[in-house]
Amino acid sequence: MTFLSCRFAIFCFKVASRRAAPSRSSSKRSSSSLSISWLSSPSRGTSVRKDDAPVSTGITASVPYVSRKGVSPVVECGVPMPAELREELMPKHVAVIMDGNRRWAKMRGLPPSEGHVALVPPLRMVVKLCLCWGIKVLTVFAFSTENLLRPKLEVDFLFSHFERTANSEIEAIMRERIKITVIGDTSKLPKSLQKTITIIEEKTKDNSRLHLIMAINYGGKYDIVQACKSVAKKVQDGIIHLEDINENIVEKELKTNCTELPYPDLLIRTSGELRVSNFLLWQLAYTEFFFHKKLWPDFGKDEFVEALKSFQQRQRRYGFLS
Amino acid sequence: MDFRDGAHNLYHIIVASLHIGKLRYLAVVIESEEAHQTSKVIKLLQWLDSVGVKNVCLYDMNGVLKKSKDTIFQIMKNAKSIEEVNEDVTHHAPDHMTLEFVSYVDGKEAVAKAANLIFVENFKRHDIGGELDHQILLESHLNQALQIVGCKGPEPDLLLVYGPVRSHLGFPPWRIRYTEIVHMGSLNFMRYGSLIKAIYNFTKVRHNYGT
Repeated sequence: MTFLSCRFAIFCFKVASRRAAPSRSSSKRSSSSLSISWLSSPSRGTSVRKDDAPVSTGITASVPYVSRKGVSPVVECGVPMPAELREELMPKHVAVIMDGNRRWAKMRGLPPSEGHVALVPPLRMVVKLCLCWGIKVLTVFAFSTENLLRPKLEVDFLFSHFERTANSEIEAIMRERIKITVIGDTSKLPKSLQKTITIIEEKTKDNSRLHLIMAINYGGKYDIVQACKSVAKKVQDGIIHLEDINENIVEKELKTNCTELPYPDLLIRTSGELRVSNFLLWQLAYTEFFFHKKLWPDFGKDEFVEALKSFQQRQRRYGFLS
Repeated sequence: MDFRDGAHNLYHIIVASLHIGKLRYLAVVIESEEAHQTSKVIKLLQWLDSVGVKNVCLYDMNGVLKKSKDTIFQIMKNAKSIEEVNEDVTHHAPDHMTLEFVSYVDGKEAVAKAANLIFVENFKRHDIGGELDHQILLESHLNQALQIVGCKGPEPDLLLVYGPVRSHLGFPPWRIRYTEIVHMGSLNFMRYGSLIKAIYNFTKVRHNYGT
C-alpha cells in the first residue's frame, strides 16, 4: 500500500469513526459521553440557580453567604461560581496531575526551568477557585519518584523553585487559611527543602479552609509499600495482630490519610496524556477522570470549570457490591 | 457499495496498518451491571482477536465476568486462560488469545494478602522473639508476593472502560502505573470503529514515563 493511499485511508477512517460514534446525550446528567474520553467537552447543562437567586453575589470580601434553604455557604472571595455549576455537586476532593510544563517551554524555545516556573500561576488559580467554590481538598502531583531520574540540573532547579515558592507564598497561605501537607519520600529531598516543608506544615496545621496536599517525590507504589511497612511496624509493636491485616488496615497507613477525605472525587490531568503515572494508585478506584489536552501552564479557569461541569454531569458509581 | 461497506473496508486498511505489537496487554473494565451481557463481551473479544490483540484482561468489580468464564471459553475456542499459559504472556506466540479474569478481590485485597505473606515469611525467618524486619519490605517483594497469591497478570498497556463511569472501578492498583485509560461509553453502544480508534490512538502515542 502506498504512503498516500494509507494517509487517505486514515483520513477516511477518522471521518467514518466520527460518524460511527453514537450521539452524545444532551441531558444534564448524561450517563455517558460515549466518546473517547480525552475529547472531553461535556454536553451543555441547564443553568442552575437556587430559588432564582444567584449562587454568588461576587462580593470581594470574605462574607459568608447563607442560602435561603440554609444549605452550607460558599464563602465569597471575588470569583462567583459560574451558573452552569451547582454548589451541592462540587467534588470535595480534586486531584491534579500538572503535566506538560516542559513541553510548554520547549514549544516556546525556552529551557525546561521556564516551564516549571510557569507551573505556579495556574496552580494559584486553581487553589483560589477551590477556596471560592467550596472544594475542601486539593492534591497536586508536583514531583514523582520517576522524576528523580531527570537531569540533575533540572531536578535541583525544581527543588529550589519549590522552596522559593513556598517561602514567598506563606503569608498568602496563612491569610487564606490553607493547610499544607507534603506527601512523598521527603528523605530524598535537599535538607533545606525538608526544613521548609516541616516549617510550613507546622505553621498551617490548624488551617481548615482548604487542605492543599503536595505530592513531592511521591509514587503510588511507594505509598502502598510504605503503608505495608507501617503495618509491619504495628504488628511488631503489638498494636495489631498479623491475622487482622486486611485492605482497610493498609489503607489507614497511606500518606493520604492526612485528610478525612483521602479519596479524590475528580482527577484532572493536563497535556493530553491518559495515564495516572503512578499517582494515588490505591486511592483512585472510584475517582472520575478528566483528561484535558491543554498543557498545564495554559490551564485556566475555563478549563477548570469544564472539568467541574463534566464531573457534575456524571453518574458516580462507588462500586458497591450487590 | 453503501457507506457501511466502505467503512468496513477502511477499518480493514486501518487494522492492517496498526502497530499492534505495541499493545502487548489490554485490560477491559466493564461496569458490573453491563458485564452480565455475555454476548456483548464475547463480541468485543472477537473484535479484539480479529484486530490482533491476543492478551486481554477482563475486569468487573463484582466478579460477574468470572462467572461467565466457562461460557466465554466455550465460544472463544482459540482462547486460553492465563493460568494455563506458562510463559510470559506478553511474549507468547500469537496463535491463541490469553484471557485473564479479574475482580475487586484481586486488587486491594490481594495487596493486603501479599503483604501478610511477606510478614509471615519474615516471622518464620526471625522466629526468636517474633521480631519482624519491616525494612525488608520493598516493591520487588510485593511484586513477588502478588504472583504467589495469584495475581500473575502484567501491567496493561491500555485499559478500556465500558460503562457510564470514567473511572477504573477498582482495577488492581498495583498494575496501572503507566496504563493508558480510555473511556469507551456504555457496552450497549460499543462500536467497532471506536475500538479501532482507541487502539490506533494508543499505538501512535509516544510514551514518556516521568523521566
